Amino acid sequence: MSARLTPCAWLTTRARLGAALLAVPASVVLACATPARSAPTSGSQVPATIAASFHPDKLGAMGALTVTIDLAGDALGDPPLLRRSVLRLPAGLGVEIPHLRSCEPHRLQLLGARGCPAQSRLGVGRALVQAQLGSQLLGESISLWVFLGPLRNLQPTFEMLAQGYTPFDERVVLSGTVLPDNPPYGEDLVLSVPAISTLPLEPGASIASMSLTIGASRRSGRESNTTIEPTHCPSGGFPFAAELTYADGSMQDVSTATPCPR
Amino acid sequence: MLVAILLGYTCAALAGIAWAGDALIVNEAFTPDRLGAAANLSITASFASSADVPPSPISRLTLYGPAGLGIQARYAGTCTEVVLEQRGPAGCPADSRVGFGGGVAVLALPGQLVREPFTLDFFFAPPEHGRLRLLAYASGSSPVGVGLVVVAREIRAPKPYGLGFSVQVPQVSTIPGAAYASVESAFATLGASDVAYFKRVHGRRTLVHVKGLIVPGRCPAGGFPTRGVVEFADGTTFIVNPTIPCPRG
Repeated sequence: MSARLTPCAWLTTRARLGAALLAVPASVVLACATPARSAPTSGSQVPATIAASFHPDKLGAMGALTVTIDLAGDALGDPPLLRRSVLRLPAGLGVEIPHLRSCEPHRLQLLGARGCPAQSRLGVGRALVQAQLGSQLLGESISLWVFLGPLRNLQPTFEMLAQGYTPFDERVVLSGTVLPDNPPYGEDLVLSVPAISTLPLEPGASIASMSLTIGASRRSGRESNTTIEPTHCPSGGFPFAAELTYADGSMQDVSTATPCPR
Repeated sequence: MLVAILLGYTCAALAGIAWAGDALIVNEAFTPDRLGAAANLSITASFASSADVPPSPISRLTLYGPAGLGIQARYAGTCTEVVLEQRGPAGCPADSRVGFGGGVAVLALPGQLVREPFTLDFFFAPPEHGRLRLLAYASGSSPVGVGLVVVAREIRAPKPYGLGFSVQVPQVSTIPGAAYASVESAFATLGASDVAYFKRVHGRRTLVHVKGLIVPGRCPAGGFPTRGVVEFADGTTFIVNPTIPCPRG
């Protein structure tokens, strides 16, 4: 994005952007410092868990949010094929973006993470992708980067770069949007997950787990985007939830509450 | 290629081959389908039978690929028959994998035919006398647990063929007195265009790409010629000469 906002400008957009950033990673995984893991909240055959944490964990503090989602396998150990995730973030969560720059998905696909301005980077993470090939359940560790995407219909977006190296050197760019939600949530991060092909004639891969950290607990010169923990913590803690949709059409809701700072 | 060897034969696009009243349907493709490219070769093969009689067990398979078809094993690891037999595919180095597959076997038990799905795992083995060797691990679990290792050895191929492989297929017994198991269908997917491993190169950890299977740089008029010789346990031999269509564009 060519536009650049002053440190004051982000104030008007930080809540949305923050949510968007969080949601992206969250769509895959939510993890936290003081993880509050949860059981599925709806009838689903696949138990997933979600966890989220702030670092530092202090009301109104700028820092990082980590969200982790684990998609446990079925009876045979195969993880389900995730096709869509909606990550619900607590109201009041923000993201401070001092230098508003965005990243075009085609640059990410072509050049990788170095193809986009450091100021547009919102976070990083890891994921584990698995596929049943032959007699073996093979896994590949994936590196994730989340960038601020271009506005679409005046809605903030994010781009997630997923890069695996071995055994398959593959790069995928996922696009997500940020949508408003109702209390106690603030915004939703909506991410469509395409089919992850492996080899001809073999089943596709699925995401077994995902963890994403948005923002940074310590600011550096070029990578200065941070999350802002809400200034008020509801009784019971900060609510996080994810709605997961699988390739077979089934859905699963998982939720958690991250304890309020002491 | 190994699957083709194991099953009978592979041909370019789609072929129906008459076989004692039955047919062998084979489908094969390169991905990407581009001259000179590191690619995946996918193969499916199945016997179509009008009667509920399983095909005779295969005893030996010989397959010739087109001239110019390459296997680039630089940076790839190897596995051995001993390791594969004792520890299964999990015991082989990740960088020795060549491909995967599976299929359906037919077990002629007294009074009934039982179909059993199986998986295939393919690995590079150490070369022998300068010639490539590939290992295939066939595994089935129900109703009969089977773990079988076969070796495909590179052989000389007459023109217009290039690469050739031959494999002796042992007979798989099921229960005492019953016929040997045969194969009803099988598939394999060998090589890939994006396989990579971290290796120490000049002391540095480096991501290196294994080209694996390489599509010939030129395609003769009429397509890539291939040839398969299938020898069955009942003494019969079946020879097919299919072609793989040239890439479009």
